[in-house]
Amino acid sequence: MGQQIGFALKDSMHRVLVQLASFLPGLLALLVAVVVLTAIGMLLSSVIRRVLGAAKFDERFARSQSADVTDWSPGHSPTALVARIGFWVCVLLGFMIGISAFDASYAGGSHIAPILIPVLTRSVGAVLILLAGTVVARYLSRSVLIGAVNLQMQYARFLSLGVKWLVLVLTTAMALDHLQIGGVVVELAFGILFGGIVLTLSLAIGLGSRDLVSRSLEKTADGRGAGGPLHDDGVVETVRAAAGSQVKAAGNLRHF
Amino acid sequence: MKEEMATTSTISESDTGATPAQKSGLLVSLSAMPPEAVEATLGNLAVAFGDREVSVATPDPVGESARGNLRISSYTPVAAAPGSWVLTAADYFNAYKQMQEQGATLCLVLGPEAQTLGPEALRALVEGVTTGKADLVTPQYALGPRDGLVNAAILYPATRALFGTRARYPLAIDLAFSARMAERMATAGQRLTAANQSGAILWPVAEAAAAGYTIAEVPVGTRGLPTPDAADLNSLLAQVAGSFFADVDAKASFWQRARVAYPGRNGNGATASGQRLESVEEPEIQPMLDSFRLAYTNLHEIWSLVLPPNSLLGLKKLSLMPADAFRMPDGLWARIVYDFVLAYRLRTINRGHLLGALTPLYLAWVASHLLLTSGAGAETMAPEKHVEAVAAAFEADKPYLVARWRWPDRFNP
Repeated sequence: MGQQIGFALKDSMHRVLVQLASFLPGLLALLVAVVVLTAIGMLLSSVIRRVLGAAKFDERFARSQSADVTDWSPGHSPTALVARIGFWVCVLLGFMIGISAFDASYAGGSHIAPILIPVLTRSVGAVLILLAGTVVARYLSRSVLIGAVNLQMQYARFLSLGVKWLVLVLTTAMALDHLQIGGVVVELAFGILFGGIVLTLSLAIGLGSRDLVSRSLEKTADGRGAGGPLHDDGVVETVRAAAGSQVKAAGNLRHF
Repeated sequence: MKEEMATTSTISESDTGATPAQKSGLLVSLSAMPPEAVEATLGNLAVAFGDREVSVATPDPVGESARGNLRISSYTPVAAAPGSWVLTAADYFNAYKQMQEQGATLCLVLGPEAQTLGPEALRALVEGVTTGKADLVTPQYALGPRDGLVNAAILYPATRALFGTRARYPLAIDLAFSARMAERMATAGQRLTAANQSGAILWPVAEAAAAGYTIAEVPVGTRGLPTPDAADLNSLLAQVAGSFFADVDAKASFWQRARVAYPGRNGNGATASGQRLESVEEPEIQPMLDSFRLAYTNLHEIWSLVLPPNSLLGLKKLSLMPADAFRMPDGLWARIVYDFVLAYRLRTINRGHLLGALTPLYLAWVASHLLLTSGAGAETMAPEKHVEAVAAAFEADKPYLVARWRWPDRFNP
């Protein structure tokens, strides 16, 4: 009995050690592939920077007014953007080659690559969605904040935060959906959150603009009473007036 | 000299077939105007240059081809001119093409509402090139103390400090220039029109300074100014300031070396803005102060990405000041503009956002300027004197811009 247990233990330990021995070269191959491709990526990035720098790529790009790309990635020049893309493509390639090598050298008989690669690509996709969503959320929230402040809206920050969270919630839901995590729960939660934010914003804008709307309605009513021309777009006119208030409130100032 | 050679190769010397007999020397290039404005301008030109043959080119159809000393020709623009309220890339390019066709040696470009310029003003502009031997002659408009505020706040002080020129209106819409200056402007204009940006603003004073050309300025009296295309201040300021900042960025290698080469103006009121404002009403100032205070509470986070702590502290003090004591120090304003120029260059934040965040600060400067130049307090001064003080502050702070331009990360006091 004791001998049988000893044999069973020895046998299982042997199997584990053999599997580990066959696993380690594959892991090493993965690490080597990632490290080498990362080094190549750094080299490539450096070469791209130098070449594009020598060709004055940034200046040409700015001159051709194709600056939208850099507008979406503030703080980075187009050259830096291209160099970074080159670097990360190499790193991603390293991971894919490494996983493939790991799979080939793994003697366990199970094919890991067909499982890991889709997961990896989905993860990369989700990370990209999150990154893009964060950039878009920041861009839109700043746009709304600056626009609303210049229109002298008192609830500018609230509006900006609302827009930011709308985009972030949408992005998170998209990333989770892309990862196929959560299923219906994510969709339901997203619907509730999104609807909630929209409703809150609508209420805030509605309540905040109460005076504006009432003034507009009074103006329209006065116009009717006086037999003057009726403006169906009275609200729009009032909003326009508010938009131009910086200039108009300044009386006879001429900025240009 | 190198600049001249470089520009010569860019614009092709087309054979226009103009014979010496046809050459009139002076070309007057008009912007698109209503027929009655064209008539009035032609009348003024006939009076101004009574003893001289003048070619007049206009994009508008005209009935007659000759009127006294004026030879009038209607032309189809080589580059589509969008009919802007300022002179655009297309205007300079079209003017140069007309100069080539007419064989002219100097050009007088007149912007919209040019009929309000008197004959003396027209003559003075041209004489600046012919007798003054200047390559570029800019007008010194006699604007009121409440007019041309963006020019007083940003364009004039920054141009004077960076490019070392004395032109009071860097964005003038009437200019006289020599053939080589026309060629240089056309080269810059052609680059933009080729990139489908015919409506882009060009900065002739900076171009002339960078090329080492002579710049002169002549007083032209009052002038009716055209109404800008865009109705709201935000988009206009973004358009003009964005173009100006881009030009500063493009000419960095020049202005980092340029030194102030002339004494400042005395600010005694050569322009109409030398007159003091009699009074300033609270309804006029209060919306601007409200805009600034609202922006301070909301845009502080964005400003902190662009402005150093000292400037933010200055803005905090400003936000707490009562309306009657509201004064933006000239040094603070100069530093703010320079930091925005730097942020534009470094793309610290999206450029559209950056220029949008400048508007409330500009309104704060306007409020401060109006308060300082009105009333009868001890601090009160003439508007022109204050504008000169602002320009001096820009000059004094130029080393800061140069240092941060060269070492943006290392130098941040």
